Amino acid sequence: MILVGILLTLLGFVISVLSLGVTSSVGGRLAMVLVGLAVSLFGIMGVLNKAYLKNAIWKKG
Amino acid sequence: MKNSTKRLLVVLFAAFCIAPLALAQAPAAAPAAAPAATVAVPPPPPAPKPILDGDLAGTPVPSADARAKGDPDGSLTGNASDVTVSDPKKGLTIGDLANQVGQNKIAVNFVWTLITGYLVMFMQLGFALLESGLARAKNANHTMMMNMGVYGIGMFAYWLIGFAIQMGGVGAVANLGGTAPLSAEFTATIFGKPFGLFGQHGLFLMHKGTYDVGVMVLFLFQMVFMDTGATIPTGAAVERWKFSAFIVTSFLFAAFTYPLYANWAWGGGWLANLGTNFGLGKGYCDFAGSGVVHAVGGLSALAIAMILGPRIGKFSREGRPQVILAHDIVLVITGCLILAFGWFGFNPGSTLGASSNGNLRIGSIAVNTMLASATGMISAMLYMWFMYKKPDASMTGNGFLAGLVAITAPSGFVNPVGAVIIGFVAGVLVCLSVAFVERVLQVDDPVGAVSVHGTCGIWGVISVGLFADGKSNYGGAWNGVNGSVTGLFYGDASQLVAQLVGVATLVGFVFTLSFLFAFVVDLLVGQRTSAKSELEGLDLPEMGALAYPEFELKS
Repeated sequence: MILVGILLTLLGFVISVLSLGVTSSVGGRLAMVLVGLAVSLFGIMGVLNKAYLKNAIWKKG
Repeated sequence: MKNSTKRLLVVLFAAFCIAPLALAQAPAAAPAAAPAATVAVPPPPPAPKPILDGDLAGTPVPSADARAKGDPDGSLTGNASDVTVSDPKKGLTIGDLANQVGQNKIAVNFVWTLITGYLVMFMQLGFALLESGLARAKNANHTMMMNMGVYGIGMFAYWLIGFAIQMGGVGAVANLGGTAPLSAEFTATIFGKPFGLFGQHGLFLMHKGTYDVGVMVLFLFQMVFMDTGATIPTGAAVERWKFSAFIVTSFLFAAFTYPLYANWAWGGGWLANLGTNFGLGKGYCDFAGSGVVHAVGGLSALAIAMILGPRIGKFSREGRPQVILAHDIVLVITGCLILAFGWFGFNPGSTLGASSNGNLRIGSIAVNTMLASATGMISAMLYMWFMYKKPDASMTGNGFLAGLVAITAPSGFVNPVGAVIIGFVAGVLVCLSVAFVERVLQVDDPVGAVSVHGTCGIWGVISVGLFADGKSNYGGAWNGVNGSVTGLFYGDASQLVAQLVGVATLVGFVFTLSFLFAFVVDLLVGQRTSAKSELEGLDLPEMGALAYPEFELKS
């Protein structure tokens, strides 16, 4: 899951950079960048952090 | 709290929120068209008479006898005889004067940049006191050592390679006169445009002619900025970070993580050129580093804190956060105030000069910095007072810093009303973010570094795209695009998109790189101390000495 989280986080960055080449409209770029940001944040908070919380120290005996 | 007091606070809070909005200036209306000319055009003024070398021949200078008697009122010191003459036979010439004026300009800028750099260096003490105060006494030595250690380790790594990656392709910085040797940026062509990725000149400050007075000044200033970023993760990792792992991780931060993003934003890299290459505003604009310094540090702090995991006792078996008290709130507030003082180097110093090219904005930048810190502190204090019935000192301090972090990127581009709003939002944002990180993410961040620097750093970057008022003028262009930086509220939506691309890069790329470095170090040497050391306090097991050996400590 750590690898998936990292890949998702990086994917968000790639989507944002792609917005520069895919469209020239400000609105289109804005939408793509926001999608990229959302993907990255999900990768960090929804996947990567959850993977670490599984073995959190307070859950150990 | 009494109802009347509550009502008063509500009224004050509401007034504070509304006043800046009411005061905010709308974009200036276009000036009315001038009436048709009906009067005779006045004759052009006579051309100025050129000054010739001969005109300088009679310039009075105090005699040697007069100077020998001393100059108690200062009227004789500093005159034409102090101008360096290139050829004594010719005497003082116009060329000599012009050279002296040029050197004076660069000297003013050197002194300005160096002194503000020294102020930023002093911020290390602020961080050290703040973090040590928020830690428990049994970890005070370890925390202070991390804050001192990061200064030396970071500087060494930055001298070796970091500075070259960041600034090796920036070109000549006009305000500093002599940075022309920093002229090689590695670029890749993407979407048919050059993407600057990293600089190539400046290794060891000797490589390719970079043993240069202007380069040295630039290095000192940029180094203390990098070190500010590098010290941020120590706060989030306090009380459980193995010292050896801290050294390696900090080295990697200073050598690669920070310089890469700083190159993209400040070193002529692809983010700075979003304006010239893709028509997005004036490119990514981060005046003094809400993104480059603070968000990079804050996101690295998040990555390291996630890998380290929480301190023993921070969360209950059910995952509920527990309060671990700071050991010295006096140190915490002292640290905050020292940081605020250092910020007058951070933001106004980022003009890299006080002479020419719109640099007289330094007054505006300093005032914006003060105002945002004030409103950040006020809003955090009021928020805590409302929510938790007391104006919590450590969170008020965090609000103070949050305002400063947030105004760092926009300080050079916004007006005072914008600064007030940016700081006010940051103060509330930091309180919400601290709660979110602790309760939702269940990440243990003992000093709130992720929220203060990460969350509010990102807010600062975004706020440039909203509040930049189009009135700044640093030589008529920014990032190679003519005109002033203008945000959404003043008519340019594309600037906001450029800022968001920067934010996406921070969250998607910088976090990932930081995480990977920290992850590899964790695999190789282990990031976390043993549970035994942690319970004992890190001062003895890691440092070999207690910070307060003559006091009995309660664990």
